[in-house]
Amino acid sequence: MNPAATPAPDAGANSAPAIGTPLAEVETPQLVIDLDALAHNIAVIADHYRGKHIRLRPHGKNHKSPQILAMQIAAGGTVGGVCAAKVSEAEVFANAGAGNVLLANQVVDAAKIKRLAAIAKRVDTIVAVDHPAQLPRLAAGATALDASIGVVIEIDTMMRRGGVRQIADAVALAKQVAATPGLRFRGLMSHQVPTVRPPTRAQRFAEGGRYIERVLAAKAAIENAGLAVDIVSTGETWTYDVAATYPEVTEIEGGSYVVMEVPYAYMEEFRFAARVLGRVVQRLDDRRALGDVPIDAIGAPNGPPTVDGPAGLVVEGIDHHGVVLASDGPMPLAIGDCFSLLTHQQDITMNRWERYLGVRAGVVEAIIDAPARGCVH
Amino acid sequence: MQQPIEQPVGSPVEQLDTPALLVDVAKLDAAAAALVEPCRIEVWLHNTPAIALRQLAVAEGKAVGIAVRGVAEAEVFAAAGCGDIRILRPLVTAASERRAAALAGKARIVTADDGVPLAGADGLTAAVSVSARVTSTPEPQRAITDCGQKAIGRDFGDPRVIGHPSCRASAGSAEHGVITWSAGEHPFAVGDWLQMAPADVATAFALHDFAYGIEAGRLAAVWRISGRGLFQ
Repeated sequence: MNPAATPAPDAGANSAPAIGTPLAEVETPQLVIDLDALAHNIAVIADHYRGKHIRLRPHGKNHKSPQILAMQIAAGGTVGGVCAAKVSEAEVFANAGAGNVLLANQVVDAAKIKRLAAIAKRVDTIVAVDHPAQLPRLAAGATALDASIGVVIEIDTMMRRGGVRQIADAVALAKQVAATPGLRFRGLMSHQVPTVRPPTRAQRFAEGGRYIERVLAAKAAIENAGLAVDIVSTGETWTYDVAATYPEVTEIEGGSYVVMEVPYAYMEEFRFAARVLGRVVQRLDDRRALGDVPIDAIGAPNGPPTVDGPAGLVVEGIDHHGVVLASDGPMPLAIGDCFSLLTHQQDITMNRWERYLGVRAGVVEAIIDAPARGCVH
Repeated sequence: MQQPIEQPVGSPVEQLDTPALLVDVAKLDAAAAALVEPCRIEVWLHNTPAIALRQLAVAEGKAVGIAVRGVAEAEVFAAAGCGDIRILRPLVTAASERRAAALAGKARIVTADDGVPLAGADGLTAAVSVSARVTSTPEPQRAITDCGQKAIGRDFGDPRVIGHPSCRASAGSAEHGVITWSAGEHPFAVGDWLQMAPADVATAFALHDFAYGIEAGRLAAVWRISGRGLFQ
């Protein structure tokens, strides 16, 4: 068999404007980060957690960028590490200096477990499990490298995704982890979304609190079985303040709050920090225009994007060739005029771009690289 | 960016780390051979120069060239040796016009409808799949996979489980696929390998940086999706 030659890079790139370029002059489309809004969002959770027991574990899947992770950690109130959804994503952040890693997902194949064990040789590394079949696989990878991998049990409360369903099964699995060479039992993790959308503050605290209490019931049961639970990682953007009211919760996995998305608008303390900037390339009729943002530049699994400006425009449709903008009255945009779009699922949007433009006061101030983009392994 | 999977040519496809964007080379070639003269191949669907060159070679004499969406994609395919490129989106800025003009020495650039029919996704769709692995079976009749929306896309709908018509791939989420089936069946256990068909091939290519050409169930080639994410 012959080795598979990795193909060399070809020419071609999105044009990156020089620092100092006015936003109105950049080539489009671009993923634009409002640096003031980004700093504001990061400060909201950092300020809320200052002096409290609870910490933020920044989720790298939401921004894919060690530059943004560094801003989150520098603001304070974090675990000093990162949460990741994939092993290859965790590698990017660990290589960039993240102090510890929680892989909030199940990993079962030998190739990925080997990479995970290699990360664990360098930084404190924790992985989530929910099934006994995962343990011998993790143990084999850890012991082969003489590594020690921390383990949290994922508890399902409502997602019906990964996660142990019954507390008795969580206790049994925790005991098995504790008895498995190469693995260390560390605690629990869980992830939820609200069922009432948008929820009122009272509804957030009631529903979010119910899920957290279910996780804490699992914690109590495992402790009753004689195991120490160091980590309770539950709560996210919509429950960052709810989780802080529970002394037993050690950390939340927060990600959406960093750049926000339309369905999270009810979290009014956070600001929209990511927009896709586009230009009109064609007038379709008196009230409709075609913009240069294809669906693959923003993603729309939760519905089409929302126009953030100019006011009065709506998205009538979006496909691989562009976005159709419609106005109630005469279309205010001429060919070449810019508009901006807000996403309904920020991590899907961020994952379409290798690089973001950091903008303040209408001027490009920073190029933000997203080297974990596309890290699906 | 995504790193390429390091596996020797000839490796069984199941040995490629999951999720991987797989292209059945025989089906790709059959689709190109079935093209009707004259046509332009819509290579923005895959944004992969190696695939475009292969399609053009198979369809020689029938395909007059390729079609891309914007000037950044045109730059990639011109650099790879595609000599006749139609840019579908109107060029409305001086910068994009300059970039298109700069390609004139490498390729014939067409910026208006030249009447040549476009050959789209029909045949390509049959050739493309994404591999996945079952990471958990947390309750009966349900498997969780490592192939979520960031690996296969959901902009145009949910994927399908290849070879298991009774299984349903529900919405899943950004990082996870969710597969369900009826009581009495036992299709998947933790660690199992499977193949998914994306609802939309262009979305699948827009998510990956590498595609893997597969012949007779084995790795034949690694292709860089060089035009991915070049939206300008």
